[in-house]
Amino acid sequence: MASASSSSSSVTPYNYSYIFKYIIIGDMGVGKSCLLHQFTEKKFMADCPHTIGVEFGTRIIEVSGQKIKLQIWDTAGQERFRAVTRSYYRGAAGALMVYDVTRRSTYNHLSSWLTDARNLTNPNTVIFLIGNKCDLEAQRDVTYEEAKQFAEENGLAFLETSAKTGEKVEDAFAQAAKHIFQSIQDGSLDLNAAESGVQHKPSGGSKSHSLTHDSAPKESCNC
Amino acid sequence: MDYLLEETVPMADLKKFESKYNDEIQTQGRASSTAQFEYAWCLVRSKYSADIRKGILLLEDLFKNRDESAKQDYLYYLAIGNARIKEYQTSLKYIRALLQIQPGNRQATDLEGVVKKKMERDGLVGMAVVGGATLAFGALVGVGIALAKSK
Ligand SMILES: Nc1nc2c(ncn2[C@@H]2O[C@H](COP(=O)(O)OP(=O)(O)OP(=O)(O)O)[C@@H](O)[C@H]2O)c(=O)[nH]1
Ligand SMILES: [Mg+2]
Repeated sequence: MASASSSSSSVTPYNYSYIFKYIIIGDMGVGKSCLLHQFTEKKFMADCPHTIGVEFGTRIIEVSGQKIKLQIWDTAGQERFRAVTRSYYRGAAGALMVYDVTRRSTYNHLSSWLTDARNLTNPNTVIFLIGNKCDLEAQRDVTYEEAKQFAEENGLAFLETSAKTGEKVEDAFAQAAKHIFQSIQDGSLDLNAAESGVQHKPSGGSKSHSLTHDSAPKESCNC
Repeated sequence: MDYLLEETVPMADLKKFESKYNDEIQTQGRASSTAQFEYAWCLVRSKYSADIRKGILLLEDLFKNRDESAKQDYLYYLAIGNARIKEYQTSLKYIRALLQIQPGNRQATDLEGVVKKKMERDGLVGMAVVGGATLAFGALVGVGIALAKSK
């Protein structure tokens, strides 16, 4: 798993200085996989089957002058996957919690997603609330103001996005990274703590614990 | 992408789903398909190949004997498990069976790409598919087609 660790490091210099682990959570069909795909490939998938288990994507972005590699785990929203997908929460630096602005039920379930996220991540994990499908204004079922208030009450950052048009998708991933980077700079996020969800590249080749979930040493894979 | 084949399950989770599975067998004589799938999904992500093989057996049992509606889940993790123990041909066979049920499924085509890349790296490309595997593949595709028609 740890492409970032070990053997390749001596040969190829990293073209990024940090790795942040993200998870994307929320009810089925809210557009989690489409958000990931829009972010990594800049494409929209109109007809997308339910995720089986988890999907994975990466992209390097620049935030506050730093190149950061995001490693993103997109979890399946269908109930039968939920118990096991919880093991992917551990060691996430960022959690994007998504609902669908056209389906109130997906908004009503947020408190249960939030409870899981809080219980299974660490106190420094940045939880970002995302109201997706904002292109479907005519079918809107949850107002911006209402969700904004929920976010404020729970100390979450919040944005409305459209994985279809691409609106604010980039911002959601980047702003979460900015928050994480800030907590590294102000010292509240301890990079040496297990499960911080962050790896600093130039010095630490061997710290892959936040990625493997378990600290098994792994081969490098250049991805 | 390779991460899907390389991340490992936390031991505590493996143990947790193992006990859930065993408890159900003890109390009900047989585990629910949910408990069996959860346990198998953890097993195929273990760092030990013996665990992965056990997970594959549990998934094969689910595929043959349980819910029609979750066949794609079983096929996908059968493909992951086999790829992790370097049974690449078998893995590809399951990916193709999954693509029969859900043509163009992106997770399946992505995984296919990863597996083929691994085979290339291991110098396995161009190796003939042996008779047995071809036969099994034929049988699975049959199931896939039957499923696709029954929709
Ligand atoms: N109009 C519109 N449709 C969207 C948007 N995002 C996703 N969709 C559609 O919503 C459906 C579900 O999207 P997915 O990305 O598969 O949802 P998911 O959250 O990954 O679902 P699970 O994998 O089952 O948890 C797909 O048919 C998408 O085309 C959006 O921003 N606008
Ligand atoms: Mg999905």
